Amino acid sequence: MEGAGAMTLTVEHINKKFVKDASETIESLSDINMEVKDEEFICILGPSGCGKTTLLRIIAGLEHPDSGAVKIDDTVIDRPNQKLGMIFQDYSLYPWRTVNENIAFGLELHGVPKERQDVIVKKYITLAGLAEFGKSYPHELSGGMRQRVAVVRALAVEPTVLLMDEPFGALDAQTRNMLQNELLDIWQKTKKTILFVTHSVDEAVFLADRIVVLTQRPGRICEIIPVNEERPRDRTSVEFAKIRRHVLDLINQKCVLQ
Amino acid sequence: MGIVIQDNCSMNRILMTLASVKRRTFLKILLPIAIIVAWEVIAIVLDNQFILPRLGSVFAVLLHPTADILGNGNLIDNALISLQRVIAGFLVAAAIAIPLGIGMGRSETVHDLFDSLMQMLRPIPPLAWVPLALAWFKIGLVSMIFIIGMGAFFPILLNTLDGVKGVKKTWIETAEILGAKEHQILSRVILPGAAPTIWTGLRVGFGIAWMCVVAAEMMPGTNSGLGYLIMASYNWGQVPVIIAGMIVIGLIGIGFDYLFKLVDRRSFAWRELER
Amino acid sequence: MRLTVIALIAIALVLITAGCTQPAQTTNSTVGILYSKGVGPMPMLLATKQIDGYIAWQPFVSIGSKSGIGKVVAYSGQLPPDASNVNHPCCVLFATDALLASNPDLVTAVSALTQASSTYINDHPADAAALEADFLVGKGNFTYGNVTVSSVDVLNDAFPTVRYTNDPSPVWINGTKRFVNTQIQLGYVTSELKNVTGDQLDAKLFAFGPYQDAKQQLASGTLKTPKKITTPITIGYLNGDMHSAALAIALKKWQYFNDTYGVALKPRDATQTRPDTADLIVNGVPVAEIKLVGGDAGPQVMQMAATNVVQMGYVGVPPTVAAIDKGTPVKIIHPVNTEGSGLIVDVNAPVTDWKSFVTWAQQRSAAGNPLKIAAPGKGSIQDVMLQYALKDSGITSKETS
Repeated sequence: MEGAGAMTLTVEHINKKFVKDASETIESLSDINMEVKDEEFICILGPSGCGKTTLLRIIAGLEHPDSGAVKIDDTVIDRPNQKLGMIFQDYSLYPWRTVNENIAFGLELHGVPKERQDVIVKKYITLAGLAEFGKSYPHELSGGMRQRVAVVRALAVEPTVLLMDEPFGALDAQTRNMLQNELLDIWQKTKKTILFVTHSVDEAVFLADRIVVLTQRPGRICEIIPVNEERPRDRTSVEFAKIRRHVLDLINQKCVLQ
Repeated sequence: MGIVIQDNCSMNRILMTLASVKRRTFLKILLPIAIIVAWEVIAIVLDNQFILPRLGSVFAVLLHPTADILGNGNLIDNALISLQRVIAGFLVAAAIAIPLGIGMGRSETVHDLFDSLMQMLRPIPPLAWVPLALAWFKIGLVSMIFIIGMGAFFPILLNTLDGVKGVKKTWIETAEILGAKEHQILSRVILPGAAPTIWTGLRVGFGIAWMCVVAAEMMPGTNSGLGYLIMASYNWGQVPVIIAGMIVIGLIGIGFDYLFKLVDRRSFAWRELER
Repeated sequence: MRLTVIALIAIALVLITAGCTQPAQTTNSTVGILYSKGVGPMPMLLATKQIDGYIAWQPFVSIGSKSGIGKVVAYSGQLPPDASNVNHPCCVLFATDALLASNPDLVTAVSALTQASSTYINDHPADAAALEADFLVGKGNFTYGNVTVSSVDVLNDAFPTVRYTNDPSPVWINGTKRFVNTQIQLGYVTSELKNVTGDQLDAKLFAFGPYQDAKQQLASGTLKTPKKITTPITIGYLNGDMHSAALAIALKKWQYFNDTYGVALKPRDATQTRPDTADLIVNGVPVAEIKLVGGDAGPQVMQMAATNVVQMGYVGVPPTVAAIDKGTPVKIIHPVNTEGSGLIVDVNAPVTDWKSFVTWAQQRSAAGNPLKIAAPGKGSIQDVMLQYALKDSGITSKETS
């Protein structure tokens, strides 16, 4: 069931401290509040170390905030929940499983019968454009191909929200651009809500409906910038450059030092 | 034109690979052959069968593996008996070490509970357990399995622990997010993820277990096996039998190591290519 | 001047009476004893000239002479001090106190079988030799270098040098107690048996009841059937040792003993060269399952007795005595043999008997290259006999490596 009703993901007053050695605590996230609407594409943008990955992991239920809560509608998310799928930067594919078997992983966990699994796997491997590579192993694929498998593996169990942690960071510029387009394509076809973490302004401006800009540590929401440009967006257009400029200025003036 | 060039390139590649394989094989058998030649030369020069028997006398034993040796049965039967014992001890060790290693790797509580005991027992050589094994388990297969098992246990345990700890966090988290329960994480992520390292532990553990066979079969009440054959031959000063026994032990050891490595190459190739 | 001469003569007289002017060789001759911890390596050590000779129990003396590696100097019964070593104690049958208390009739039956078997050996030495060769090494051949000797030939050569007797005669008892004293002097016996003499010593060492009963029953022709037990009894013996031949012959010719005497050890697996399980049958009734375990050395068998892994055993006097001294609860039932060891030297040595051996030892010692003779273990009968024989001939012995 895709996009079940109008879901809202709320992040309320999230605070997180990390204890370093010798009882030195570092404030990682400070009072994060945001509301994500159904089918939105949100980019979380910030410099390295600003806690954006931590925020994503808290939303995923992999880590606990010190205070505050994450909710989908009224359900509190305090542990991994199937409504939230996650794609890691290192793809995290299981190297001992073929592409088909990777995609089927989540289905296997829930005891989906084999015939049904095959149907679903076929659907998603086609969506990823990798239909001939079903029996290949991850180490036989390129970085871009592996990332596509990671995405459809997460999609196969039909989550409402996709959390993506700098998924294209390890790829070259050409592949990256291609995958960004493919991701938008998949997003439009499957109508998921996406939270996408990145430190690239270009990427954020190209992909997002709204950009959530975080400050340096301790990460606070500095600004949430809407990008109203229609898709497909032209990276070389004047409008694109203007928005880019605007975001960069904002970051440099307002969001660097707080 | 392009096709011809491609063929030449493939041809060259094949030839170079062949040459490299030939060269590697040559190097691998060079030293053993040199040792065999040197052995015979020295044996002839020394002319003393007790220091170094002639190759012929050792081969006389090896080439008659079905001949009875001083009422102790033949080479093949004794080799099989030793193998049975080693496999039994090895399996018992694996059955305990693998679950314990997984438990220690997954749970801090389990780890802390067992860690100091394991650290204490680890450096004790299996041979040192012989008197106690004999007193506790009396004469028979159980005491032998204990000795052999003690030899195999720690490599398997430590490698399992290592393998489990080495499973990528994101693999586990992916499974959690996809809805896996703890037992599913264990069977579908931890075990396959740790499998290559565990397999290495099994390979090393088997090698050590095989080394323990002589020690284990030295225990009184043993009247069969390669280790026993060697000791009995020592008793009667039959040096060629001792050396023949040692060679058989070595060959079987190589054979199993090769088998383990074969599985490693086939099933765990992904490990190398992941890193 | 005259005073000086008188003084010199006086000094010379003093020195002569003090014995300091005797030829240096005789008093300072030494022989090195190498403890090889077992007799297995001895033929090899002799053949590779790492030792000049060895003293060992049979059949290792015969192995040495039959394979041409060495020649016999003397068998143990002939070693000096003259006549004191004739019929010297060697191996015994022991039983644990627990077994003696719970099932003395079983011990009696085993003793009876042993006695019957010894009789057979003395009456049929050639057959016994073949059976023992079968038990020890499946009648196989020994190969030493280019020489191959048949084990049957070796045993045929060895059997006459061993006295198979089970009689705990006064001579034997005294010999054993003298041995204990030697052990005390050498410092190998230090606890339970030290400072114990007379009847107390006897009580600690011996339990001849079963022997007497068995002898009586054999003489009368009827044996008493022991009560049946369900737990197996384990009997230990030494691998490569022919002194316990009575046990081997009993196993190999069980039918004969069953038919002739009414007691037998019937192996359960007839194909085994050295059966590991047998049934003790008395008067046609199987009364106990007997497990047979071969150990590599006496102390190992005694350790098994201490942990109750074995309840009876055929071993040498020294390890039995040492065990009793340490508190192991066992008793000696009776001897299984006397004598049965020998001294053998390199085949090229200028030696034909003990006297020429002594001369050789003196010559080598004077030349700064004392003889190296291997013995099985510190405190063993062979070790003790060798040391005392050398001492009697004015040679000191010391451990060497």
